[in-house]
Amino acid sequence: MLFNSLTFLVFFALVLALHNAPLPWKVKKTNLLLASYLFYAAWNPPFVILLWISTAVDWRVAKKIYAEDRPSRRRGWVAVSVLVNLGLLGYFKYGEFLLENWQVLMSAMGVTWTPPDWDIVLPVGISFYTFQTMAYSLDVYLRRAKPADSLLDFALFVTFFPQLVAGPIVRPTQLIPQFQKPVRASRDQLLWGLGLMTLGLFEKIVIADGALAPAADAVFGASKPVPFSDAWLGTLAFAGQIFSDFAGYSTVAIGVALCLGFSLPDNFRFPYAAIGFSDFWRRWHISLSTWLRDYLYIPLGGNRKGWHRTQVNLMVTMLLGGLWHGAAWTFVVWGGLHGFYLGVERFLQRQFGGAKIATTFGFKVFLGLLTYFLVNLTWVFFRAPDFPTAWTMTRTMLGFGVEGSELVLSTYLVAVVAAVTVGILVVHGFMRNRRLEQVVANAPWWLVGSVWAAMLFFILIAQGSGDAFIYFQF
Amino acid sequence: MPSSTSSSESEPVILRRIPELRWPRVAIVALVLAAVGLGAWEAYWRVAQQYDASYRNSDGQWAEARQRIDAREANATVFIGSSRTLFDIDLDVWKEETGVHGIQLALEGSNPLPVLTDVANDDDFRGLLVVGITPPLLFLPGIGLRAGVLEHYYDETPSQWMSTRLSYPLETTFAYYNLDTKLFTVLARQAWWPDRHGLPFQQPEVRKLEEMRRDRQADLWERVETDPEFHAVVTGTWRAILENLPPPPPEDVARAQFQALLDQVAGDVAKIRARGGEVVFIRPPSSDFFRAFERKAVPRERVWAPVVGAAGAVGVHFEDYPALSDVRTPEWSHISAQDKARWTRALIGILQKVMVERGVHRPEIKT
Repeated sequence: MLFNSLTFLVFFALVLALHNAPLPWKVKKTNLLLASYLFYAAWNPPFVILLWISTAVDWRVAKKIYAEDRPSRRRGWVAVSVLVNLGLLGYFKYGEFLLENWQVLMSAMGVTWTPPDWDIVLPVGISFYTFQTMAYSLDVYLRRAKPADSLLDFALFVTFFPQLVAGPIVRPTQLIPQFQKPVRASRDQLLWGLGLMTLGLFEKIVIADGALAPAADAVFGASKPVPFSDAWLGTLAFAGQIFSDFAGYSTVAIGVALCLGFSLPDNFRFPYAAIGFSDFWRRWHISLSTWLRDYLYIPLGGNRKGWHRTQVNLMVTMLLGGLWHGAAWTFVVWGGLHGFYLGVERFLQRQFGGAKIATTFGFKVFLGLLTYFLVNLTWVFFRAPDFPTAWTMTRTMLGFGVEGSELVLSTYLVAVVAAVTVGILVVHGFMRNRRLEQVVANAPWWLVGSVWAAMLFFILIAQGSGDAFIYFQF
Repeated sequence: MPSSTSSSESEPVILRRIPELRWPRVAIVALVLAAVGLGAWEAYWRVAQQYDASYRNSDGQWAEARQRIDAREANATVFIGSSRTLFDIDLDVWKEETGVHGIQLALEGSNPLPVLTDVANDDDFRGLLVVGITPPLLFLPGIGLRAGVLEHYYDETPSQWMSTRLSYPLETTFAYYNLDTKLFTVLARQAWWPDRHGLPFQQPEVRKLEEMRRDRQADLWERVETDPEFHAVVTGTWRAILENLPPPPPEDVARAQFQALLDQVAGDVAKIRARGGEVVFIRPPSSDFFRAFERKAVPRERVWAPVVGAAGAVGVHFEDYPALSDVRTPEWSHISAQDKARWTRALIGILQKVMVERGVHRPEIKT
């Protein structure tokens, strides 16, 4: 079920009404659990079974780990969780990719082999909920958390519908305790939650789908190479689109949860105002980057094993982070570029980190723009359908024009992309060291109401295309 | 990625801060202003632009019509084709004359052949298939403008199914809730945007042309006939599209492609007949610039005749029957809403006659 659908509006109104009805807390949680299954089944009913598998396995595994003192047994049980979750992910998401690459490898070795047809539908959001569920068993294994006392609470943690299919990826210790005692949103929580939902839907429907997607689609789907101007405009459009799409989803998710009385963590903090790549990853898809930090980078040794090993750990983490996004080598290159940027940044910090110029405002602005420029180059690999398109786009954007290029963007699209991109950068720059809650609290009430009305109005007249959120496919 | 040396701490519950404001006031202002804005927007489209609330002709609505073949009406009469078949056939008259409430699956700006193949492959269909031919559109790669309908029909999620039905009451209440009046569609078509030097021809957006019912009965919108300015916009769009079509492929390629098309049509028609169904072809009228273009670029003897011949089917071309030619096509391509009943009635009569002559007897058409 998409947040930007009429079905969701009706669904949410019913869930909210039930959640505020005078019912015992256990009944309300059961309602939320059933609603979450319905939310997922509204996309493809049979795949609810995957949620049940993930729930059953990790519920059992965590109990076993907790009760076990022998390290080898503990490792064995945690391996079960990792194998089941990654197995589900591997089968549904990477099966075809692995077969194709195996075929290429065999072919390179002179063996002709045709893989069977892999007509498997990717369950929406599988990358999110497998990682979230796996974190539960890993936290118990790492003795960061105790297993949940109640299967109902744990099942609700796995399937909680606001963040089930596209995050934020929540840790068990962030959510399960909230299910333990009755909560209901206060009037102000409810209204602020509705405000956040409006903001998120505005980002998705108006900015991502309405304003920016047409330009990004035209450039990346062009049948001929595009010139320098359109290559940059298309990439800037995609940069804005993917942020507005994904941050929009997270904002709606946070708003929905808040309307029910639950708190979810931030997933974005104005990432296009980042100064450097460490800063970028503290602001972009925070719940994934911290997951990768805690369950991959640090177990690999983090930065505790010397300079070179740190670089390797970073690169491995980012390559796998890239692959998490999609079963294609373009995503691996996207992750690799970020790993490379992070490595170079660490090197430069070590060499010149203490330089006085680094603290000046002008230099920070320069570094911020440089970061944005380099991030945009990575988006090309994220968005391009294949390597030839990505290479052509990158060459064009770096000034090595391609012969036979042809404009694809109308004056209207050029104007929209330029205006929205500048708008996004100004907002991110202004909000860099601020929180939304703080800015809203300091604004006059009538201004907040007017901005809310404007967003609502534009959502209604933009009408929406009903397009799925980009991150659903991950 | 955030750097860290270790993380032995668990992530704590984060309690979100709520900005301290008078939220009920804020919410009331938001709702009132949004309602006022929406009311003004609705009034603009109704009063200044003469729009009425009408079904949106969504993919979900098409899927609903398509499901009728599977669900209840295997022996139905089904119409496929492009906008001419969509606008020109009067489903009420068809029911009045034949007793059958036809299933309207024609799609604007689209090639009917992929839908022909789809219906041919549907074992549930054993009825009468009326295929409307708009010759230039036969050569579109794939379906064309409405490329997503078949995918939507086959992959429709329960949520999409529900959203389509929840949307209907809104579609029939709000005039602004229309694909032609979406904010960014309206912005993009404004005349104030200068041409971009060097930009190749881009196909203009086709404006709202019809008023549609839930069963996909669609009438040519009155404003196309009555508003000279809007009429000029529509005919200007046809002219721009027809004058800027991509060049045809080389002769040998075109010949091979056309032969493949004929083979596909013959195969699909044979499949339907093998199940007891029947297929007839119709060529609805066009006029003026559109007709002149079609005569030159896709002449009857080189397109219509071979297609009908390959199918071995009954074919009714408007040029052969005065009753089918004597209608107004205000914007050159679609019959006036006021003439469609008469045209449909005439078409049924001619089909009955031609089918009897060809020895084709169908319960749906009462020959």
